[in-house]
Amino acid sequence: MTPDTIAAQGKNDIAADEKDLLERPVFSFRFQIILGFFTFFILSVVVTVGAMITINQIEKKITTVQTWEQFLFNIEQARRWEKNFFLYGTNLEDALSSTTEAQAILAENLKKFEGSSIPAAKENIKKHLDLYHGKLLQLNQLVKESPDHSIPRADLIENDLRRYGASIVGDAADLTAREHDLLFRWLQLVQRVPAYFLVFLFFLMIYMTRFLSRRFMKPLKYLVNETRRIARGDFTPVQPLRKFRDEFTTVEVAINRMLRELESRQNSLIESHKLRAVGILTAGVAHELNNPINNIMLTAHSMLDEYDDLTKDEQIDMITDIIGETDRSRGIVHNLLDFTRENKATYDAIDLGSLVEETTKLAKNQARVRGIPIKLDVQPGLPPVLGDRQKLKQVFLNLIMNALDAVGQNGLIQVRVRYHKLNYLSVQIEDNGAGIAPDVLPHIFDPFFTTKPVGKGTGLGLSVSRGIINKHRGRIEADSKPGAYTIFNVILPYYPGSANE
Amino acid sequence: MNSPEILLIDDEPIVGQRLRTGLEKMGCKVEVAQDPKDALAKIRGKRFDVVITDIMMPEINGIQVLETVKEANPDTQVIIITGFATSELAREAMEKGAYDMIAKPFKPADLRGMVAKAANEMGFTDIKE
Ligand SMILES: Nc1ncnc2c1ncn2[C@@H]1O[C@H](COP(=O)(O)OP(=O)(O)OP(=O)(O)O)[C@@H](O)[C@H]1O
Ligand SMILES: [Mg+2]
Repeated sequence: MTPDTIAAQGKNDIAADEKDLLERPVFSFRFQIILGFFTFFILSVVVTVGAMITINQIEKKITTVQTWEQFLFNIEQARRWEKNFFLYGTNLEDALSSTTEAQAILAENLKKFEGSSIPAAKENIKKHLDLYHGKLLQLNQLVKESPDHSIPRADLIENDLRRYGASIVGDAADLTAREHDLLFRWLQLVQRVPAYFLVFLFFLMIYMTRFLSRRFMKPLKYLVNETRRIARGDFTPVQPLRKFRDEFTTVEVAINRMLRELESRQNSLIESHKLRAVGILTAGVAHELNNPINNIMLTAHSMLDEYDDLTKDEQIDMITDIIGETDRSRGIVHNLLDFTRENKATYDAIDLGSLVEETTKLAKNQARVRGIPIKLDVQPGLPPVLGDRQKLKQVFLNLIMNALDAVGQNGLIQVRVRYHKLNYLSVQIEDNGAGIAPDVLPHIFDPFFTTKPVGKGTGLGLSVSRGIINKHRGRIEADSKPGAYTIFNVILPYYPGSANE
Repeated sequence: MNSPEILLIDDEPIVGQRLRTGLEKMGCKVEVAQDPKDALAKIRGKRFDVVITDIMMPEINGIQVLETVKEANPDTQVIIITGFATSELAREAMEKGAYDMIAKPFKPADLRGMVAKAANEMGFTDIKE
């Protein structure tokens, strides 16, 4: 795959590209945030409702405990009266009424108790209470029947009453204690749950924050890296990071659109700068053409004038000269046309040495007019590079023309093509001209940066060249010592697997 | 009768080859130089009547040749052969005392005419085109 594959794609593919992005299922950040908050809300509702229910239960528990305590109070009261009766013969009526009261409480609340608390014992209590009441009634009957207060088997009755009384009090106290216990546990629960909930909420929030920020930060970081790549001149579309569509997809689509714009603008910039170079070259090439045409003209005229005096060998020599010079003209025209021709951005395996040689030939006339020699030195046996012939020629031409502009009297331009560090070839263009001041050097690749007078330089040469070389996955470096030399180094990867080492 | 000494300088070898015969037929003594450095040496070493030089050659151009000639012998006439993109240079040459100039591509007869005219002006009256 070449970096320009995308550029070479049709418009349809680009539309499909965009469609692919936009047709992914939507899972937006908005939705994710809403989802997060909704989860929080549901959790809070659950905890709040839970707390309300528990508090309601506690309220019920409190009433239950209170009822049991009232019941206990009545029973204990009855037992006190009953004791008084056996000691002093008084208060039997009071004992009876307290018992009835207790029975009423029990009857009224039994249903409620059944529902709300510990089973067991309650039946027992009711049974013993009824028995207790029965014994008291029996006692009351006996008292009424014997006015002298001598009651037969009083001690037996007293024993029964004690037994039942003790059992009721024991059971009821036990129950009350257990209800108390339960109440206490409910209370503890109500106290703890919010604390647990807070802790849980805290961790949930940490998790959510980290999750969401990672969801945000990752694509942001990715896009920042992508813009860096784009700034280096690689206009391959941005690939989406996720399978679904979110707000970043919109950004990605927008960036890809911008990339297409940038690419087409850069191409037209390259094209117009090329045409400008062609304009400059044409004068030189026209001059260059004058030489072979003049040679043809002189030779043809000589033949015409001296035809009869010429030996056969001389005639053949002259015709050979005419053919040779025609060929030379064709070569010159071809070289210019090859550079001028409408370009279809094709990537071929290129012999960098001969490409640079053709380029120097194109510029040679400019150099000749100025009397500046261009020395070319190509290391033999270099592997080919993959590239766009015209664009690469344009780069080297820009660099050579810059060098030509920079040199003065005794100017010399040296062009070297050789191996660079692993997998790379380098084309070095060195001149012994004015050089570039250190404070200017960082700006020379900026678009429209020029130190040349208006009309002479547009300041686009190096910017366009860097764009082209970046597309070839190479780089251009500049090094200069003002007043001594300037070296531009174009480093290009050679065609993978074609190296002969 | 003496014949004019002519030096023809052009880095294109065909130019010298083709013009030489014609000029010799006119009655001139012709020397040809392809390398402008050789040419400069010749100019310094010997007096020529007419020097014909291409204006654009590697390293040394026609202007330098003209200057050297005028230095060595102000009477020598210099004819400049110009190319397409060198009208600036040609103007400079005329200002510096060139006799005439002729633009590539030219007919041999035109150059011969120019040489004959220069020779006549210098007193070689028997030189005819
Ligand atoms: N070989 C060099 N020697 C000295 N300065 C240079 C050299 N090459 C480039 N520069 C400096 O870098 C600037 C930018 O060069 P660039 O090729 O981008 O634009 P330009 O040559 O001014 O205009 P254009 O290329 O459109 O004719 C030049 O104006 C010049 O100051
Ligand atoms: Mg430039």
